[in-house]
Amino acid sequence: MTLIKKYIPLAICFLVGLMTLASYYVPNKTSENYLEVMNKWENIVAGFAFLLGLFSLFFSHYNKIRRKVDGWGYSLFVFVGFLVMVVPALMSHGKQMDGTSLTGLGWGYRFMFNALSGTMFSVLAFYIVSTAYRAFRIKSAQAGVLFAAALVLIIGKVPLGQLMWDKMLGWTHLGVTQIVQWLMDVPVVAGRRGIMMGLAVGGIVTALKIIFGIERQYMGKD
Amino acid sequence: MKNFLEKLLKIDRRLIFLALAILLVFPIVKPLGLPNLNLGSEVKSLYERIEGLPPRSFVLMSLDYDPATRPELHPQAVAILRHAFRKNLRVGILTLNAGATGLIEEIGERIPKDIAPEKVYGKDYVILPYQPNPVAVMTQMGMDLYQIYDKDRDGSPIRDMEVFKGIKNVKDMQLGICITGTAMLDYWIAYTGDKFKFPMAGGVTAVSQMGYAPYLQTGQLKGLVGGMKGAADYETLINHKEKGTSGIDALSLAHLMVIILIVTANIMMLWLKYL
Amino acid sequence: MSETMLIFGGWVAAGLTIFLFSFLYKDNPFFKVTEHLYLGAGMGWVFQTVLFQTWKPKVWEPLQAGDWTVLIPTVLGLSLVTQFFPRISWISRYGFTFIMGYGSGLVIPLTISTDLLKQIGGTIAPFMVSEISRANIGSLINGSIVAIGFICVLFYFFFSVEHKGVVKKASNIGIYFLMLYFGAAFGNTVMGRFSLLYGRFDDLYKYSAPKYFYATHVILAALVIYFVVDHFRKKKPEIEEEAA
Repeated sequence: MTLIKKYIPLAICFLVGLMTLASYYVPNKTSENYLEVMNKWENIVAGFAFLLGLFSLFFSHYNKIRRKVDGWGYSLFVFVGFLVMVVPALMSHGKQMDGTSLTGLGWGYRFMFNALSGTMFSVLAFYIVSTAYRAFRIKSAQAGVLFAAALVLIIGKVPLGQLMWDKMLGWTHLGVTQIVQWLMDVPVVAGRRGIMMGLAVGGIVTALKIIFGIERQYMGKD
Repeated sequence: MKNFLEKLLKIDRRLIFLALAILLVFPIVKPLGLPNLNLGSEVKSLYERIEGLPPRSFVLMSLDYDPATRPELHPQAVAILRHAFRKNLRVGILTLNAGATGLIEEIGERIPKDIAPEKVYGKDYVILPYQPNPVAVMTQMGMDLYQIYDKDRDGSPIRDMEVFKGIKNVKDMQLGICITGTAMLDYWIAYTGDKFKFPMAGGVTAVSQMGYAPYLQTGQLKGLVGGMKGAADYETLINHKEKGTSGIDALSLAHLMVIILIVTANIMMLWLKYL
Repeated sequence: MSETMLIFGGWVAAGLTIFLFSFLYKDNPFFKVTEHLYLGAGMGWVFQTVLFQTWKPKVWEPLQAGDWTVLIPTVLGLSLVTQFFPRISWISRYGFTFIMGYGSGLVIPLTISTDLLKQIGGTIAPFMVSEISRANIGSLINGSIVAIGFICVLFYFFFSVEHKGVVKKASNIGIYFLMLYFGAAFGNTVMGRFSLLYGRFDDLYKYSAPKYFYATHVILAALVIYFVVDHFRKKKPEIEEEAA
């Protein structure tokens, strides 16, 4: 049973990983055909992977409703929201436009999903400002450098900031955009490149560990 | 004085929220009308790249953003599309983000209305359906795109469409542009740009813009439009001002507010510490 | 779609936006309802996209045409769902190992090429003979700063060696480069978030027009009235308690 439950899945990971890795370096029709098949299959499997998140959400909220925990009524709206999107989609066969007119699905996207998704992420702007006021304290040279870079970016990106800079510091013949450009081309590249290197090395090591079966947490418990 | 400053440092944050809301709404109601003076060189790079393409070159646009990042990225997509159509380029639009399909419908609606009414679907541009697993799609695009995309979003076969004449994979295309609020551009650079030597450019949110500076420096990215400022810069270059330009105009006061708040808070902190 | 539905849509969009923003004042039932609606609607949207743009054209239609090979990835994909049933959850390992093997195999050569070799090449490029012979001093100075900064940042992240002496000095220089990067990123983050907020306010301004029967104003006013009434409603028992 261990063979079917553990070793065959690990063998699949090893074979698929190694063959995919090898096919990158082997410019041969066979490796191209192999990659094409794998790409098609991966496309289909990824489509099903989404179901994990869906069922997890549904089970969690269904249990809240069943056990009538505090706030269980709100969990009903998860299913309402789901049906508001899916039912019109089934009726219009996934089409958002019917000629030049919006279908129910198109309406749901334009007036519900757009508003909900956009607002959720934009709320962060308020917290950035209040946190900047309450917690951004320049207590060291390093924090000062961070603030200086942020100040130049924040001012340099908007017309009013550019005008103010030109009026106050125009005598230096150094435009704020030139400084922003230099920041982006030099120190930001250096800092970001170092981080990218570290991430790249870590990523390669983790990928190798997964292929060789050393890293197995994604398989769950035995 | 000390008590007053301490109270001011602990001010109810809802008052800060209200101030920010007022400073953002005011320029929407009464635009400041400030000119967008200084244009980013990485935006100019993309503009010049598209300017230099011969007519009927094929540009692949991967629009991978959802409503959460729409205000920054949608103006970029519209401006670049407008430019591409003005240069009589063929455009293939696809998405690898499930949340973007609705926004692409909007673009599909706008092309015949105001972006490029003279352009014909199937001859000058095509919209491909959503596909999951971006890596599989990108890898396949480098070999034979028809194995992944055999139909467009309406279910019509694409192989014989005039817009795809002479196109089998990304090596037959002249430029790829990925507009995204996620790490999708990294994948495009890695799995098509570097692997198949496919010229790639990008449009990203302001938050992610700094992370692509190394790619610009190495030439892995041929141009980069960053955030709403990037959209405004591109609109200025194509001489067609829209949401990008009006957007950064509206942000001016809010940006100033952030600087004033940070500087004021630090001055008060120093005052309390030393006086 | 009729004009009425479009106007109704404007009211719905304005209402959902204002209800989500109401959390900034205080947690309230309108926010909670909208938050849960967002969860469901988001999932619903992705579900219908995957259904009509992946399962139907890539699984159902090929099966109908007699292409049985699509059953292999379909079975692998469905095996992932067995995760929720503890007795047979081991079956999901087949799907997961396929995904992980494919992903890991692709990541290695491309990370080496894109994030390692190309970046090292980009650091060295300003010092190539062809570049130096162009006698661009500015480019040489900038290239030197990038190279020094890059190496110093790597020193900062190298934790296998104790940070003392030269390593500590290099690491400290690396920190300053990182601070410049994070400061620039913070500045851009501020702009990015404000842009999103501007987008929402722009939509609210659109829905405050007479065409939409002043949806934004009406909903905002109704919410303010709710908060005022709620405040006095909660205050009344406190006063009665104190009196008792």
